[in-house]
Parts: sequence; C-alpha cells; structure tokens
Amino acid sequence: MQVSCTQENLSRGLGIVGRAVATRTTLPITNHVLISTDNSRLRLSATNLEIAINCWIGTQVEEEGAIAIPSGLLTDFVNSLPSENIDIKVAPQTQTMEIKCAKSEARISGQKADEFPPIPRIGEGITAKVDPRALRNAISQMVFAAAVDDSRPVLTGGYAQFSGDKLILAAADGFRLAVHNLGLVAPAGEEAGVIIPARSLRELDRLLRDQADPVEITINPQRSQILFRLKDVEIVSQLIQGNFPDYNQLIPQSHTTRAVINVAEFLRAIKSASVFARDGSGILKLMITPGEGIQISARAEEVGDNEGTIDAEIEGQEAKIAFNSKYLMDIFTILEDEKVALEVTTPSSPGVFRPIGDDDWVQVVMPMFVQW
Amino acid sequence: MAIQILSPLVVSKIAAGEVVERPASVLKELVENSLDAGANHISVEVSGGGIQLIRVIDNGSGIPEDELEIAFERHATSKITSESDIEGILSLGFRGEALPTIASVADVSMLTRYRDEVAGTSVILENGTIKNKKRQGCPQGTTVTVRNLFENVPARLKFLKSIATENSHISQLVTQYSMAFPEVKFSLLMNERITLRTPGNGDLRDALVEVYGLETAQSMLEITTNEGGVSGFISPSSVSRSNRNYLSFFVNRRWIQNRMISYATEEAYQGMLMTGKHPIVVLNIALPSGDIDVNVHPTKREIKFRNERDVFLAVQKAVRETLVGYTPIPNMRVSTPLFTSPQLTTIPMPIKENMGPSSSGTLLARESCQIETTTQLPILRLIGQLRNTYIITEGPDGMYLIDQHAAHERVLFEKIKEQQAKQSVEVQGLLEPITIDVTAQREDFLRSQGEVLSEAGFTLDRFGERTYLLRAVPAVLHRQNIPQVLAEIIDSLGELQSSDWRERIVVSLACHGAIRAGQTLNIQEMEELMHQLEETALPRTCPHGRPTMIQFSVSQLESEFGRRG
Ligand SMILES: Nc1ncnc2c1ncn2[C@@H]1O[C@H](COP(=O)(O)OP(=O)(O)OP(=O)(O)O)[C@@H](O)[C@H]1O
Ligand SMILES: [Mg+2]
Repeated sequence: MQVSCTQENLSRGLGIVGRAVATRTTLPITNHVLISTDNSRLRLSATNLEIAINCWIGTQVEEEGAIAIPSGLLTDFVNSLPSENIDIKVAPQTQTMEIKCAKSEARISGQKADEFPPIPRIGEGITAKVDPRALRNAISQMVFAAAVDDSRPVLTGGYAQFSGDKLILAAADGFRLAVHNLGLVAPAGEEAGVIIPARSLRELDRLLRDQADPVEITINPQRSQILFRLKDVEIVSQLIQGNFPDYNQLIPQSHTTRAVINVAEFLRAIKSASVFARDGSGILKLMITPGEGIQISARAEEVGDNEGTIDAEIEGQEAKIAFNSKYLMDIFTILEDEKVALEVTTPSSPGVFRPIGDDDWVQVVMPMFVQW
Repeated sequence: MAIQILSPLVVSKIAAGEVVERPASVLKELVENSLDAGANHISVEVSGGGIQLIRVIDNGSGIPEDELEIAFERHATSKITSESDIEGILSLGFRGEALPTIASVADVSMLTRYRDEVAGTSVILENGTIKNKKRQGCPQGTTVTVRNLFENVPARLKFLKSIATENSHISQLVTQYSMAFPEVKFSLLMNERITLRTPGNGDLRDALVEVYGLETAQSMLEITTNEGGVSGFISPSSVSRSNRNYLSFFVNRRWIQNRMISYATEEAYQGMLMTGKHPIVVLNIALPSGDIDVNVHPTKREIKFRNERDVFLAVQKAVRETLVGYTPIPNMRVSTPLFTSPQLTTIPMPIKENMGPSSSGTLLARESCQIETTTQLPILRLIGQLRNTYIITEGPDGMYLIDQHAAHERVLFEKIKEQQAKQSVEVQGLLEPITIDVTAQREDFLRSQGEVLSEAGFTLDRFGERTYLLRAVPAVLHRQNIPQVLAEIIDSLGELQSSDWRERIVVSLACHGAIRAGQTLNIQEMEELMHQLEETALPRTCPHGRPTMIQFSVSQLESEFGRRG
C-alpha cells in the first residue's frame, strides 16, 4: 500500500473514528484503526463491537492495500506533524507502516487487515432520511433520560419509532421519561421500532455537529443494526434487543394545575437553588399559586435555605411538587423553547413539561416525596 | 490487718452465694488474693481444664503462720472489719469466703511464707479443714494448689462444659488480669505449655503485645483524655473483631461486666465500624471507692455506680474523642523499592483538633452526650484524578490521595443518617412501580419487618403471593440496579440483630449511592467532594472503617528522592 494525503485530513479522520476505538478491551485488535484504500479514497475504520465508524478521506492512491495500526500511537504521531503532505507506505511482508511528513518519519508496526473484526455493512433494509439539526436537537432532548444501570437493558437505550414521515425518540430510566417527535425528510418505507444504545446516540450527536445534508438511516432486515450515513462518515450501531415499555401510558392524560413558565427565568431559579442542593441531587420544592407564581425552594441541610419566586401564568388549583434538581437541570439546560408548560396533579404524581402550541416533545418527571 | 472472722452483722450485709461455679472462678479468687497480697509476679498452672489441677504461685505478702487456720474459716478476711468498710473497698476480695468455699469443693493445699517470718508453712486440707500443717522453707509468697475440683459435687461437674471451654475461660481470666495489672508479671502454664507471659513492666501496651499480638497492640490508641478516670487502649476504626469478646472493662482494676459500659463504648464507635464488627477495648475506670458498690453479686464481677450516667458519658466521651482525635490519615511508607515492596502503614500523626458542633452520631449520642469534637482535614489543594479512582491533592505536609468512593461513602453516610434522624429521608418516586418477586424468606421478612425499609425510603406494596410493587426508593439510589440493592439489603439484615438494622441500611445506601472507583470526575465535582468531605464529622474513614485518604509526607518524598537522609 502506498498513499499520500494531507495531515489535516488524516488527523480529522482519526479523530472521528477514534471515538469507536475500544479503550479497555480483551480483544487487542479493537484498539487499532483499520486503514484501507477504497477506490481513490482512504477509508479509516474502528469498532468496539458495539459501534463501528467508517470515515473516508481524500487521498492519492499509488498502490492499494490495507493494514490495522494501533490507534493511539498513530493518532498521537499524526497530530504532532506539521500541516503538510503525508506519505504512507506499507510493506506487505512486514506489516509495518512507514509515515513520512516534512522532516518527520516513523515506522509503526501493525496487524494484518484481515484480522480486524468485520465492519458491518448494511446494504438494504428500512431506510429513511432526516435533517441533521432536527435529529441532534431531538437526541439532546431525550438521551439524558436513558438509564445508567443495566438492570433493564432496554432502558439503557433510546427508543426510535419510525412511522410514515415521523420519527419518535424516547428514553426513560424509571424516574422520568423524555419523548421527542420529529419529521422525516424521506419517510420510512415500513413501520419500525428499535432501541439504540444511548452511547451510540451520543456519538451520533457529536458527529452530526458539522453536517448540513440529510442523514440517511438504514435498519438492517434482521433489525439488529442501524446505520447512519453522513457525508464521508458512516456510523453503525448494534441495536438493543427487547421490548421498550409502552411509554404512552406513562404520560398523564390530565392535570389539575398548569403553569406556563419562562424557560430562562426558571433555569436561573433552579440553578441558584441547586447551588444549595450541593451535589446536584438535592430537592427542589415548587409551590404553585395561581395569580402569584411559583415559589422555588431548596433545603440542603447545613447550607441554608434558598427561596425564589418566578412569574408564571397559572391555571387551575394551587399545587405543590418536589423534584430532584438534577432532573430539572437536565431538561432546562437543553430546551430551546422560550416558554414551556408544567402540568401537575398531586405531589406524588408525575409532573409533565410540554412545549406551548405544539406537541414536539414531552418530559415526564416523577417527583420526590417530601414533608411539606 | 490480721485475718479475723467477721461479725454476723457484717456477714449478713455481704452478697452471699456460691462463689465458685467453674474452674475459672476458682482461679479468679486465687489470682485476686495474690493481687491483694501485693504480688508482682503471679504464675498460674492448670491441667485438665482446671479440674485436675489449678496452682497459683505468687510473691505477695504471704500469710502469717498463726493466721493460716483462720484464713480457711468462713467469713475470715484481713481486708475489712466493719460494715462501713464495705463501702470503701479498695481490695479485690472482702468477703472472706473464697478460700473456705474452694476448700469445700476440692483438695486444697497451701504453702506460704509471710514477709516478716523466716520460714514458711504448708497446710493440706481435707473437706475444708486443715489436716496437715508443718513448717517448710520457701520464698516469700503463697502457693495454692487445688486438685480434683468438684469431685465431691457431681452436680457441678455435670454442668461443666468441655475441657477446651473451661481452658478458654481460664486463659481469658488470666489475660484480663494481666491487662488490668501491667506491672504484674503473669504467666500461664496450661497442660505444661506456656500460653501467656507478660513482661510486668507496667506498660499496658507491652502487655497488649502479648495478649493481642504486636501488630494489633501497636495499632491500639491510648486514651489520654483523662476524663472521668477513664484510661486504657482502644482499637482504631481500621481494626475490628466480629464478636464482643475483645471488650475488657475494669473498675478500679477489677474485671467487671457491665452492659452500660459496653454500650457506651460501642456507641462511641458508631459509624466507624461495619455493622456486626466490634472494637478491641481495654478500659479501666478509676473511681473513688465511695462512688461504686462492688457488693452486688457473689462473683464480684458486677458493680453498681452511684452515678451511672456520668460513667456512661465519661466512657463514651473518652472513647469518642480518642477515636476522632487519633483517626490518622494513614501514612504511606514507601520503602526502598529494590528491597521491599511498599506497604501501607498507619502511623498516627498529630492532628489539630477543632472544637465545633458535630453532625454525626446517633440521636442518643447527641442528646445524652454533647461530644463536640470534630477533626478537620488539612487544607487540601486539588491536583487531579488518578486512575479515575483517587483524587490527588496537596496538603500542608505532602501529598494526600483521597479514595473517591470511600470519601463519598462517608459524605452520604452522614447525610442519610442526619436525614433519618430528622425524619426527612429523601425519597424519589418511581414513574412505574418495579415489580419485585421475593423468596419466601424475604417475604417473611418484609411482612414482619418491612417497616425498617419504609423508614429508609423504600415504598413497597404487597401485590400478591411473594410479589411486591416498589413505588419509591431512597433518592441516593437513582443510578443503581434497585431490585438488586434491595435484595442485598434484605438478605444482609437477616444475619443481624434488629438493633443493627438501621445502621446497616444506611451503610448499604451510602455504599451503593456513592460514586464508584473508575468514574471520571471533573474539577468541580472533585472540589465539591473534597468540600463535602471536609464538612463531615469523621472525614478520615469510610463507614466501613477504611481510610478515605492516605498521605505521603514531605519528608518521605524527600528521602525517597534522596534529597535528605
Ligand atoms: N495469696 C495470698 N497471699 C496473702 N494472703 C492471702 C492470700 N490468699 C488469701 N490470703 C488471706 O486469706 C484471707 C482469706 O482469703 P479469701 O479469699 O477467703 O477471702 P478474701 O480475699 O478476704 O475475700 P473474698 O472472699 O472476697 O475473696 C484473705 O483475707 C487474706 O488475708
Ligand atoms: Mg479472696
């Protein structure tokens, strides 16, 4: 193999696939990155067996070939090079990569390409297209609600339901539920509901950052893998098998109090109250009084009390409810809406946050039980 | 004072009863006599569990030849004369009952030489009366030999346990007195094997070396608070035992049994030992003889305090302060790597104590005893995180490594305890109840004792045969595998006494709720953790008693780098 490319391209490509390189692993080859020529481009691939990322970079290919190289070593070396042209040469007999750039030169020994785990290829299946900004927005508004512990593996992922030109993303961890609806640019040919690991969604979110073109999504016919095709980048994730709980029944259908609150103002209030809730998992008590507003107080044992009242348009009865401040922070730090509605019934039934005017998303949060 | 028979009036005031119930109680009487006689060297010899032979040789005052007969009479004592003396007893014996009682249930002989006499006397008793008395040369002191114990009391013999059990009572007795009297050289020869020998140099720690071994003895903390006459040694939180056999209490150096004192002591260890673990404690309480009444029980092992509450508080305070004051930041002693591998040692280092309100301790401790000692951590500057497990900090004397899990456990432990005390446990509702299937055993527990779990924040509703719905959980558990944690807690409670349950649950919740080793923390999180740790009452140990931090002192670093000898 003999190729040349720019230092910027190689460095950027390694950075992208690096996220899929296994860190602690019993299979040492998975901390390598596979480098192979693909027509007139160079393809970089990495997989930790849950996620695989392919990235293509523009290259001049003199001689075709492939090799697996320890990712950390290669990335560190390439990042240390000046932004000039890099010449790469692999002698098939030795499995050693020779890298030359300006006055620097290195040899890194690698492994045979065919020892690298196969990167899943998804050719056919259920396909849809979605706008990258809408997808990012949706992921960021639901992925935090996925469960951290794996006592129920289905809850460690985000549920993605494709139907017609709609995609619904949902996540729940037993204490809260986040649901986000978005439109598809190209509708899915078939109804499908799959569970995507939360980590894959976070990586996808990261890769979507500098995307403008619609993202193509393909679920393989066995519904065991999902492919997101971006410009020059593909990410393939295993899917979590199992049934996601029927989340619709967790969303309360009625309420006795509804408060429309200003997101920025509410966030300010919970932030300052959370300072008093110290480790971020303290109690925030909300007293909702029609005609007056919402009084937010935190009671952290030694630290003292903090109370603030914010304005709100309140309909219905007087209500009180207490939340884990972390759950409110998770929601309010990512909201882009100017105003949202909080719907409450009793201090021990779930609180619901919704957008005003549409039903693009809903956040359901179970309260904490406190003495009032 | 000469040995004389007490008047019937005095006798009637003495708690009478059977003094000797087993070989060890015979030995106790003999050893106490030797100690009362001012001996500083006491050798004990037993065989056959003490039934065959018990012999005590001392170098005390000895008994004058002409008082020997009377010594074996009932109610003959040289230690008190009048009723009023009972109230001011300073000697271990005072009833004049031991020798005659022993002589009535065994074959006894005695060889003694009084300090002012040139020759000794030997006597052989049969059925409690002296049969053979003759002059015999011997060193000053007394040797009492007891053979064939209970041979004429078959009922007693039947009640004795195995020889091994009797032997263990015997060695416990000698052990206890060797700790109460470190200036006395004790030796115990059991079936012709030396099983204990103390130096008798007056240093209790040296006696402890013989009793509990070098390592444990070195780790023991000396009580220096000089509070209410309490002195002795206590184990640090890092050393513990799984039963209460290592609690030794003495009042005016009399080995006593007292639940109140044990309780006060264990109270002081609250939150420093894992449930089911107990400390090693050797405590003497010196009190004016008028403040105690020894004359409560024939074995003289029980005692009445004139002011029980004061004693309770003094013990608790002395132990707690010692514990808190000494709980060291273990020092990392790095030996030259070429020769030995580094080992962790716990060297107490002087720590400034800060008087301030303590937020720890149980309700009882707080109400009954205003222990106001907290020990501050040194001021620490954050440097970074190591292996996503330890927080590296710099302090006034070198480098301090904080174990993030242990530290957070301590923080949560105190926080949850405080919430429980205020009955304001943080409870997080579940969006959807979790169905919990339980084993028959766990179901029994839940039905009868479920209360203790609901107090801790678990809301469980019975749903059917062996099925429960969990509707809410303690808020600290929001990231855990809840059914598993709950099952673990229920199972662990089954092994404990109900009085230990609450504590055990708090320890479990703190452990499960705490950040784990391997979790990446950002700077704010690390600083927050350090800050919270500083605010705890016992920042240096986790609730299991492990250290939360270890120190590499400047001088260690300097010597390791060869900057200084
Ligand atoms: N080892 C000894 N050395 C010197 N004197 C002794 C010794 N053992 C016993 N005596 C003398 O014999 C007396 C009787 O002993 P005994 O143990 O029967 O009674 P006591 O020690 O006075 O009271 P108690 O019954 O409470 O032990 C003692 O008061 C003491 O004067
Ligand atoms: Mg006596």
